[in-house]
Amino acid sequence: MKTDQLIQNLTDELAPVAPGAAARRIAAGLGVGALVSTALMLAWLGLRPDLEQAMSTPMFWMKFGYAAATGLILAALLTRLAKPAVRPGLLAAVAAAPLAVVAAMALFRFANAPPQMHRALLMGHSWSACPWRILAIGLPLLAGAVWAVRGLAPTRLLLAGLVAGGCAGGLGAAIYAFACEETSAPFLAIWYTLGMALVAGLGALAGSRLLRWR
Amino acid sequence: MDDIESRLRGLMLAGLAGEAGPYRRLLDELSGLLRAYYARRAPPGVDAEDLVQETLIAVHTRRVTYDAGQPFTAWAYAIARYKLIDALRRGRAHLRAPAEEADALFVPAGAEAAMAARDLERVMASLPARTRELIRDVKVVGLSTREAAQKHGMSETAVKVAVHRGLKSLGGKYGGSAAHED
Repeated sequence: MKTDQLIQNLTDELAPVAPGAAARRIAAGLGVGALVSTALMLAWLGLRPDLEQAMSTPMFWMKFGYAAATGLILAALLTRLAKPAVRPGLLAAVAAAPLAVVAAMALFRFANAPPQMHRALLMGHSWSACPWRILAIGLPLLAGAVWAVRGLAPTRLLLAGLVAGGCAGGLGAAIYAFACEETSAPFLAIWYTLGMALVAGLGALAGSRLLRWR
Repeated sequence: MDDIESRLRGLMLAGLAGEAGPYRRLLDELSGLLRAYYARRAPPGVDAEDLVQETLIAVHTRRVTYDAGQPFTAWAYAIARYKLIDALRRGRAHLRAPAEEADALFVPAGAEAAMAARDLERVMASLPARTRELIRDVKVVGLSTREAAQKHGMSETAVKVAVHRGLKSLGGKYGGSAAHED
């Protein structure tokens, strides 16, 4: 086809674009992913039996808050990275803030605990399962994020994949918090972070292939 | 640049609002700029005009990714560069080593040279007998122009001319550029 003809065709099919369409697409991808992830968590692990009680403790909200805040900040960052020539900016630094808060609280808790409690604080009773569960629950979210970003125009694919994975990991961990019975800040700082990092690493690995658009 | 930026950004914003006239002007102007950009950068075997069209399509189908607060030129350039990188990557994917047997590597000593000599004979067969001998004497055996002239009873100039013409004729026939080295 002649380029002039192509331009004519593209102009003929021009429709107005509403502002925020890119962000809405990412929200839709993550929303559908979160529904599937929640269904997976409920079917596989179920809610923790004492959920109602736990929801009145700060520790539950700290777990949920750490994971959800990280996921949401990275979702905003992902929206930037899905656009050509938009820089990550300050958001990249903000994304580390929840981790910094949790790490500080974990250090404080650990330093002030009697030594015989150290092992329990660090390992809880589910350390060997926790990161893998977060990885599994994060996968549908990662798929949703990849679908959304592919339809936009990321130009730094590895970074976009990493952030998509981190976002899926954070939101996945927030969903997992409804099943998880751990109550220590050091456990949260180590094993939740590792689980999110697993999804982020997978996103980075897959990113440069799956996010390639034509 | 500032001038281009403000004009194109205005056209793009009108296009995002659905105005066909300005949008068409934007794509027209972009296509000229892209043509110049890809003309010297398209990888071998890739038609620069295909890249122009792919980029125009990407600009169109992915226009939701343009933020009104962002420089339009930076946005369009990032898409153009992405398309160039994509074309380079695809070109690299097409570089395939042929699947051969191990004896492609483990050739008996001398066989490769013998094959080259046979190829040379076949190529030279298309030349007149005198020219063929002159080329062989000067370029393969390594006689000087004077020695070849004495051997064939010709002037040195005539030897030079005959060798030159013969090589040129081979170059024309077999398409290489190596024979045009003078």
